[in-house]
Amino acid sequence: MERTQRLELFPDRSVTLLLFQHVKNAAALRKKAMEGSIDGALINPAMIVDPFQILVAANKAVHLQQIGKMKTRTLYAEIIFSLSPSNNISDAFKKFGISDSDTAVLIVLVVDGDKTVNLADIASQVEGQQVSLDELPQLTDIAKVKKMYKITPQEEKIGTLLDSVVCRMSTKDVL
Amino acid sequence: PKRYRHPELEERLSRRRMAQEARSLLRCRRAGIPAPVVYFVDYVNNSIFLEDIVDSITVQDHIYSVQKSGNDTSGLQELAEKMGELLARMHDEDIIHGDLTTANLLLRPPMEKLDLVLIDFGLSFISGLPEDKGVDLYVLEKAFISTHPDTEMMFQALLKTYAATSKKSGPVIKKLDEVRLRGRKRSMIG
Repeated sequence: MERTQRLELFPDRSVTLLLFQHVKNAAALRKKAMEGSIDGALINPAMIVDPFQILVAANKAVHLQQIGKMKTRTLYAEIIFSLSPSNNISDAFKKFGISDSDTAVLIVLVVDGDKTVNLADIASQVEGQQVSLDELPQLTDIAKVKKMYKITPQEEKIGTLLDSVVCRMSTKDVL
Repeated sequence: PKRYRHPELEERLSRRRMAQEARSLLRCRRAGIPAPVVYFVDYVNNSIFLEDIVDSITVQDHIYSVQKSGNDTSGLQELAEKMGELLARMHDEDIIHGDLTTANLLLRPPMEKLDLVLIDFGLSFISGLPEDKGVDLYVLEKAFISTHPDTEMMFQALLKTYAATSKKSGPVIKKLDEVRLRGRKRSMIG
């Protein structure tokens, strides 16, 4: 149900994605995330078009962590920040993190190589139903994504929505 | 990484070229100009990770194979027109490629669709000056002549479509003519 993948460029790290629907305790979860008592990134699935988008964010976050150049304080915060097309950290959290009224939550975990992930532990904290990542496209709010990333109509002709999103994520802070 | 350069210079140049490439690629895509997607920018090694345009061939290889097989020169004319159109749109966005050759233009399969993709923006920069655009075309013209014999008609078709597509082509073509006069063993009596 959940999906785990190694980062190609950082093979000692793997990324696991868990998707939950009909979530009732988003407010409590958000509070826990802010306190740092949940060991994962809690993301609003409406803004995600494909798991690859998460991998790109995680890859960038891990890279920046390794060279000591993260803009936020934790790896999970950095992943959420990397998803955003803006360089404003609180804005990134507002738009890509979960809000109290959300009923769907995407949880991202990053672990070192062979350490086993305690999925049951995380899943038990969510008052909702875990579903397969295949359900993600149904949860994506395409119009919202296009607006958030300011996708141009010409751009849609030469590639997928994912292409446009990833391009902006990766070049957002190039000097 | 060029080891013959002074390390600090190498670092700065690599960094700048990488940044220019990434910026130009994003700018192209936003304008609907086909170029690879940027997946990741590595600040440590000053390298960028791009989309792999699968099963593509360079326009250079395509022209070689078409000329070798003897037939279909009309297809090449159409290809030239598509190239002219693409470059006009790129220049209208004030993107100067900086290294235009037929090896830096890819054709996605199926070849008949003439689906072009621009690559290698390492020497690119942003400029609205007709001189820079003219030089960009001149570089391509020289590359054409030296790499592909008997392609004058092709390049002419390319320029014609460029002029018809670009809103600012007049001054650019003028500059191109001027630049042509500048080359080696050319008289600049004007």
